Amino acid sequence: MVSPLYLIVLALAAAFLLGLLNPERRGRAYAVTLVALAGMTLISADWLWAFTMEGIDPVDVYTAGAEPPFAINLRMGLAEAALTLLVNLTGLLSALYLKDVLLAGGRRTMAVLLISVMALVGIILTRDLFNLFVFFELVVISSAGLVLLANDKDGGPASGLSLSAGFKYLIVSQFISAFLLLGIIFAYHATGTLNIDGMANASLGLATGGTIAFFLMFMAIVAELKPFPANGWALDIYESAHPAFSAIFSAATGAAALYAVDKLLLIGGAEWLPIATGIGIVTFIAANLFALPQTHDRRLLGYSSIAQTGLVLVVLGQRDLLGDSTPFIAFGLLISHAVAKAGLFWLSGLLKNRQLADWAALRQRPLLVFAFVTFTAMLTGLPPFPGFYAKWELVHQLAGAGQFTLLGLILLGALIEAGYLFRWFGYLMKREAPVETVPCTGHKVGPVLVAVAAGWALAYLWGDLAGGLFGRDNLLLALPLLFALSFLLLDWLPAWIKNSLAIAGMVAFFLLTWGEYDPLRLIFAIIFLIGGALTLLASYSVHGRRIGFYPAAMLMYAGMVMLIRATTSFDFFAAWELLTVGSYFLILRGKHSEPHALSYILFSLGGAFLILAGFALAAAGAPQFDLASLAQVAAPAAPWVFVLLAVGFMTKTAAIGLHIWLPGAHAEAETDVSPMVSGILLKAGLYGMMVLLLAMGKQQLYGVELTHVLLWIAALTALIGNLMAVFQEDAKRLLAYSSIGQMGYALFGLALMNHLGWLMALVFVINHYIYKSMLFLAVGGVAKRTGTREMYKMGGLIRLMPLSFIAVLIGIIAVSGVPPLSGFGGRWVFYNAIMSAEYRLPMVVLFMAGPIAFLYLFRLIYTIFLGQLKDELRRVKEAPFWIVLPQMIYVALLLVFAVVPGLALRHVDAYLNQFFPEGGLHWGGGTIISDYGYWNPVAIMIIVGVIFTTVFALLLIVNRKAQMVKQFNIVFSAERPFRPETTHYAWNFYAPYRKAMGFLTQPFVTRFWDTLADLLHTAGDLGRRLYDGNGQSYGFHFLAFVVIVFFVGGI
Amino acid sequence: MMPSIAQLAMATGFILILIGFYGALTQRNLLRMIVAFTLSGTGVNIVIVAIGYMHGRTAPILDATVNAADAVSRVIDPVPQALVLTAIVIGLGVTALMLAYALKLHEQRRSLDIAKFTELKW
Repeated sequence: MVSPLYLIVLALAAAFLLGLLNPERRGRAYAVTLVALAGMTLISADWLWAFTMEGIDPVDVYTAGAEPPFAINLRMGLAEAALTLLVNLTGLLSALYLKDVLLAGGRRTMAVLLISVMALVGIILTRDLFNLFVFFELVVISSAGLVLLANDKDGGPASGLSLSAGFKYLIVSQFISAFLLLGIIFAYHATGTLNIDGMANASLGLATGGTIAFFLMFMAIVAELKPFPANGWALDIYESAHPAFSAIFSAATGAAALYAVDKLLLIGGAEWLPIATGIGIVTFIAANLFALPQTHDRRLLGYSSIAQTGLVLVVLGQRDLLGDSTPFIAFGLLISHAVAKAGLFWLSGLLKNRQLADWAALRQRPLLVFAFVTFTAMLTGLPPFPGFYAKWELVHQLAGAGQFTLLGLILLGALIEAGYLFRWFGYLMKREAPVETVPCTGHKVGPVLVAVAAGWALAYLWGDLAGGLFGRDNLLLALPLLFALSFLLLDWLPAWIKNSLAIAGMVAFFLLTWGEYDPLRLIFAIIFLIGGALTLLASYSVHGRRIGFYPAAMLMYAGMVMLIRATTSFDFFAAWELLTVGSYFLILRGKHSEPHALSYILFSLGGAFLILAGFALAAAGAPQFDLASLAQVAAPAAPWVFVLLAVGFMTKTAAIGLHIWLPGAHAEAETDVSPMVSGILLKAGLYGMMVLLLAMGKQQLYGVELTHVLLWIAALTALIGNLMAVFQEDAKRLLAYSSIGQMGYALFGLALMNHLGWLMALVFVINHYIYKSMLFLAVGGVAKRTGTREMYKMGGLIRLMPLSFIAVLIGIIAVSGVPPLSGFGGRWVFYNAIMSAEYRLPMVVLFMAGPIAFLYLFRLIYTIFLGQLKDELRRVKEAPFWIVLPQMIYVALLLVFAVVPGLALRHVDAYLNQFFPEGGLHWGGGTIISDYGYWNPVAIMIIVGVIFTTVFALLLIVNRKAQMVKQFNIVFSAERPFRPETTHYAWNFYAPYRKAMGFLTQPFVTRFWDTLADLLHTAGDLGRRLYDGNGQSYGFHFLAFVVIVFFVGGI
Repeated sequence: MMPSIAQLAMATGFILILIGFYGALTQRNLLRMIVAFTLSGTGVNIVIVAIGYMHGRTAPILDATVNAADAVSRVIDPVPQALVLTAIVIGLGVTALMLAYALKLHEQRRSLDIAKFTELKW
């Protein structure tokens, strides 16, 4: 093992050697720099290996031949090894990235870079306070030099800006170093030592003036973390510096400063922890809020860096509470932040323009888009990255200790951060790309790819660590997830091959595992896997490679499968996040779906955070629990757990109030994606509700029966969803709103909490999958052929697209719940269910929603397929084969399910007996008997068939002489109307109804969420004006920060 | 009671620090700000030395008058003096860097007013 002292020696020696070299031999100097940094990286890696694999003890290195306190000592332990590796590797990669700049700048620039890295390593290793001060000053000086690396050629705004940023930094650092020096000397005076451990043992706080001395030091070191409000200087640096330096400044300097704070807290002891927490959480929230209105990419990354550092400070401040899991959480968050932020800064250097929307240029290179996705997922703490496990553990520990305010604030800040990061990703995928080629030079792309690889390696590592913690296998090795991720490697294949692989994989997985599910889960498994495979048939209609589609789709399906297979809260939540992310990528693929995908991911992540909080509350301090033991959650927490989980799941089922993402997301999605995200994805929310209700049953909060509240929400959702559907002009939006209504029905059934209610919900689950997938495909096919989704632009397509017509006809008969199709079965069970329930009023509301469904369904078939054919549509052909084929399969399924509903339902009925023994159905031969009546599907089918044929024949006879209306029989007073579509019968089809009930469809909810978003933006925009760009203000901010902490912290 | 020399030095040091801070926050000229920081830096150094001062003792230099054996009881605490030397060197470096910055800023903008360099903000 090489002594850690060589980390410093190597950098210093190389820097001096550079001075001896011929200044013109720049290549040689560059080689010396790289070799030194690589050597330092290797030394750190070697130590890390020894600590993790061989389990050696931390080593102290004494300098000047004496032991502390007479000389400075350095310590190398596990944390130091990991952190120095991070610093050295970031330095090495940034040096590679800076190749052109360093070669142009010559040996002096390289020496400054070496000193900078060495100083950061020194901060991490040293156990001496004054030595810490020296290394910090070295960081200041070298940083002030490296800031100037930015130049116009390299994508920097202008070297002039970085010049002023550097000066502001020096101003603030002057204040900081005065505080640090004063603090150190008084602490020395009080304890007689400069050694950190010695001072910790001497209990500085008890000595005269010790508290003030520590306060001064603490403020100075914390200021290096860029706490709010003393961080304007750092933002200016992030904005103007060379991205390779910003990568070091964010990842390495941040990590080193955090470790310095950690060491300092050893001296301060427990009473300083709440202050650290307070500073951290305020910084986390403020920085994320101020980032919202940012449009400059690097400044946004700066805000995000500050926020993440604040979050790690919160973790350090909670270490009494977090105990042994502190390193797991702190490193999980820190390392995710460091790798992702370094990667993003490096990425930003590949682009010429600095607005967020300009990142659309990155679309030229799918690999770099993947890198961006990886980094975003790491920053937002999505599985399987370390931040995810850290977030889970942190939230659980905080909830277990009753720290609900802190918990809420952390989740709020994380949600805001996810908001601006995913908005950015939306720009990247959807905005018009500026005309520029993204350079693909190895030394610049290489570091980015190394960061991506590091991200995935860390995901694996943390999965292993978490596996040890929770006693489970590595999440990353779950078969469905691996299958989904393998499509990343196969993305170069043509779409049809990948489609076949996907279908085969899903069917095979179902065949392998179908014996493991109980009847309830089996229904969902069939819908997710077999149903998913069926909708994928439609994807054969897309040609080319379809980059990015299959990883996203398979990720969603993997998440759903893992969801129903999950037995513990952790597995469930991980699966929930995976399916959310996968479906987000799918939805984002639609042409105009950027804003809708964003609102989808925000509602979903918000919901996921509620679920996380609910699980954490239920776990009561344990790292996870069996889902079945939700039933054992005790009284004061139980109703809250119920509320948190229920609201979380309802973000997915789009219950009223949380529904605004759905119409756009489903309508704007690609033709074959709409059925996936509507027919299949919505069921995940229902599944969650089922798990919750089965385990927790009826809960009361302040005397209110929560299932009763659910009934009301469900009834209103059904009513408003249906009503909104009636007034849509866009066929796919109509279907989307109809889904909201349908989910309302299903939720209502569950909330009834009786046997038939649940059966009804399951009938809805099956039916809704079949007919909504079918309708979305049919309408999608029509939209593809006609080039519009506006219904009044269609019409008369019955002869041109007969198969689509049949699908829609069958579909709407099924949806409307009239005999003879399966929708009627749902209604029949539903009417039986409400007969036995005690809540009348919400039932009336739900009842009203029924006829409204007729209105929109009639409109759908009438305006698209009947009436006059438009001139421009005369050459329209039937939808592509692969879009029609699944529709025909669905038609067959609907007919089968209508005739023999017992096929699926009787097993579920029997299964439900163990939960709701009362009021089951009796299955005898072809009839189904309830307490109130019986239903014979076959007889009904025959009767309806006979009636239909009779009436149809009669009509044919009566209307024999009817005259076909020609297209130009109606003329608009010989004038061309101003807006021609307003005269079309299909435009504003239900105007009278709108007059009567339109007030119910006012977008109150949309306005509420818009206002909330506006408020956050405005708050962020006002707040960030604090940073007025004046160096003196920044100095004043630091002093104000010190004073505020002094008084608020009660020092 | 007369204040001791250590107390006087300490007070002087703090007054210098405050003057320096005040100047750095109120003077808009870059050069004056740098001078102000030098003042506060000097103040900090004086405080450090004052901390290490012990009444009636001599400088911590081992020579003919002070031998190693009785040094512990005869010299003042050498650590703050060592620290102050380092602090002075670092202060020199930072001041030089700031002056270089001021020069470059002036070259670029023909102005030394700190309020003129606020393009980066928010």
